[in-house]
Amino acid sequence: MSQEDIEVYKRALKREKAARKAAEEILEQKSSELYDISQELKQSNSKLHKLVKERTTELEGVFENIIDAYIVMDLWGNVLKMNKAAEDMLGYTAENQEFNLFSITSKDEIDNIMSTFELLMSEGNVTDFKVKLKTKKGKYLTTQVNASLIYNEDNKPVAAQGIIRDITIENKYRQAIEAEKQKYSRIIANMHLGLVELDRDERIVMSNQSFCKMIGYTEEELLGQVAKEFLPSEEDKELVHQKTLERRAGKSTAYEARVKTKSGDIRYWLISGAPNYGLNGEMIGSIGISFDITDLKNLQLQKENLLLKLEKSNDELHEYAHIVSHDLKSPLRSINALVNWLKEDNKGKLDEVSMQNFAHIETTLEKMEQLITDILEYSSVGAEDKEKTDVNLDEVLQELIKILYIPEHIKVNIISELPVVKGDGTKLQQLFQNLISNAVKFIDKPQGLIEINVKEQKEYFEFSIKDNGIGIEKQFHDKIFKIFHSLNKRKDSSGIGLSIVKKIVDLHEGEIWLESEPNIGTKFYFTLKK
Amino acid sequence: MKTLNILLIEDDMIEVMKFNRAINSLQLNHKITEANNGEDALKLLEQKDNLPDIILLDLNMPKINGIEFLKILKNDERLRYIPTMILTTSSNKRDLLSCFEIGIAGYMLKPLKYEDYVSKIEKLLAYWSMNELITA
Repeated sequence: MSQEDIEVYKRALKREKAARKAAEEILEQKSSELYDISQELKQSNSKLHKLVKERTTELEGVFENIIDAYIVMDLWGNVLKMNKAAEDMLGYTAENQEFNLFSITSKDEIDNIMSTFELLMSEGNVTDFKVKLKTKKGKYLTTQVNASLIYNEDNKPVAAQGIIRDITIENKYRQAIEAEKQKYSRIIANMHLGLVELDRDERIVMSNQSFCKMIGYTEEELLGQVAKEFLPSEEDKELVHQKTLERRAGKSTAYEARVKTKSGDIRYWLISGAPNYGLNGEMIGSIGISFDITDLKNLQLQKENLLLKLEKSNDELHEYAHIVSHDLKSPLRSINALVNWLKEDNKGKLDEVSMQNFAHIETTLEKMEQLITDILEYSSVGAEDKEKTDVNLDEVLQELIKILYIPEHIKVNIISELPVVKGDGTKLQQLFQNLISNAVKFIDKPQGLIEINVKEQKEYFEFSIKDNGIGIEKQFHDKIFKIFHSLNKRKDSSGIGLSIVKKIVDLHEGEIWLESEPNIGTKFYFTLKK
Repeated sequence: MKTLNILLIEDDMIEVMKFNRAINSLQLNHKITEANNGEDALKLLEQKDNLPDIILLDLNMPKINGIEFLKILKNDERLRYIPTMILTTSSNKRDLLSCFEIGIAGYMLKPLKYEDYVSKIEKLLAYWSMNELITA
């Protein structure tokens, strides 16, 4: 081998060495790259895995936690999966595998369900499908279903998923609201109150049947009319205008006004108006309710007239009683004077019997005079309406006992102190006076006793006046209070005294009655309101 | 005792007789002028030089009644000073009130018994006889 050859070999070897080294370096570099890539792949793979797992968990969570009932079923209605909400709603669970959704539908909805199912198959989804479902407990729910199909890799439908909402209550509410609405519409249409709705310019925008009937115009004729101009009579336009202003200020008012109907009649209405507000609280007009009170008003006017007339005729009667009494008494005075003169002028010429007869004439005249006085008194009780004041009956009675004629043999005992009552002092005095003098009059015992007592009751005082006189038989107990029913023909009794007593008790809203036994005595009771 | 010039306005004949008889039996010598109604009385009162000292007036009279007569009297410049007493059987409170409102010197109820009447008239006249009177 030559040197030259050796050199060649050497150089070749050197080149070879360098080339191998470069190749090694490249290899090393590539393998390191490969390693890196494989590491990266490994990492991203685990990341993906994690991500998928996360998503699946998330979906699972959504499925479980979704508030609405969620169901997955096969295309024959067999439930494959359902969430907690669905289980709660229907009472079934998907575990038993035998739960078919179609089996809990109502038979009478079968057509509806089939057609909806067909729609689902053709369109891929249905929304707002309303169907009744029977729960395990047997309760029917009205539900609203939104459903869609689930497809496999070959794009063939394999299942359906759906969200079911129980709208039973919502439905009930809606029905209730609808029923309420209809109820009010019926009330408004049929009530005997006229109802009218006005806009902000007082123009009529609605009126019910009653209103039309009351005013005589049809609703078409009324619509758009300015109510305050169109309805009231000339006299009350100003009033209605005034009230409209008040109402506009937000004040609800009720007032009486006269309106003119289509036929020109004037009717009295009771009108009640209130501002009408829109959804946002702004005033959009007003609502008026009116009621025809013409008949009532006429009655009231009639009553007022009658009262006036009554007052007048009472007044006249009172005057009349006085005039009659005067006219009746005057001749009595004259007769008395004439008899007196006859006696005077014929002194000594007349015999005993004639003088006796003159005395009889005089007694008769006195009796008649008393009668007239009593009648006048009776007719005057209640004629004058005096203001009721506090009357101290104890004082009244003490005074009375002083002025009344009470014979020696009769004792008057006031057992308990008499109260203060509201009433007419003069009349109350007369009441006691008549009862006491009555008692005095009819006491036939050698020792007379009159007892006056009072018992306090809740709303009134009960007084009693007891005597030990001749007594009154039961059959006359009612009669004695009637005018001219004197049971005993006596010179000093006209039979009016107890009628006056009764009238005074009546005036004080009390009652009067008696207990009595013939020959033993009488006890009069009467009440006076506190 | 003073002798009084009395105007008695009374439509009832027997009442007039009663008054005269009472004066006589009491032996009073008052001068009595009678008028049967308000109109006659007003005519008599036209004689201003011969006016009565007192007037006794019945309330219930035809034509002008007592209260109307009283009103006319009280509206007259001169006649309003003549004391006027009411003699009546009516105890109507309203009459009593309106009489006092218009202006009267007394309101006397005629009693039923003639003796009582005489006694009342006696006292009434005795009282006015003792009074100072505006004489014409």
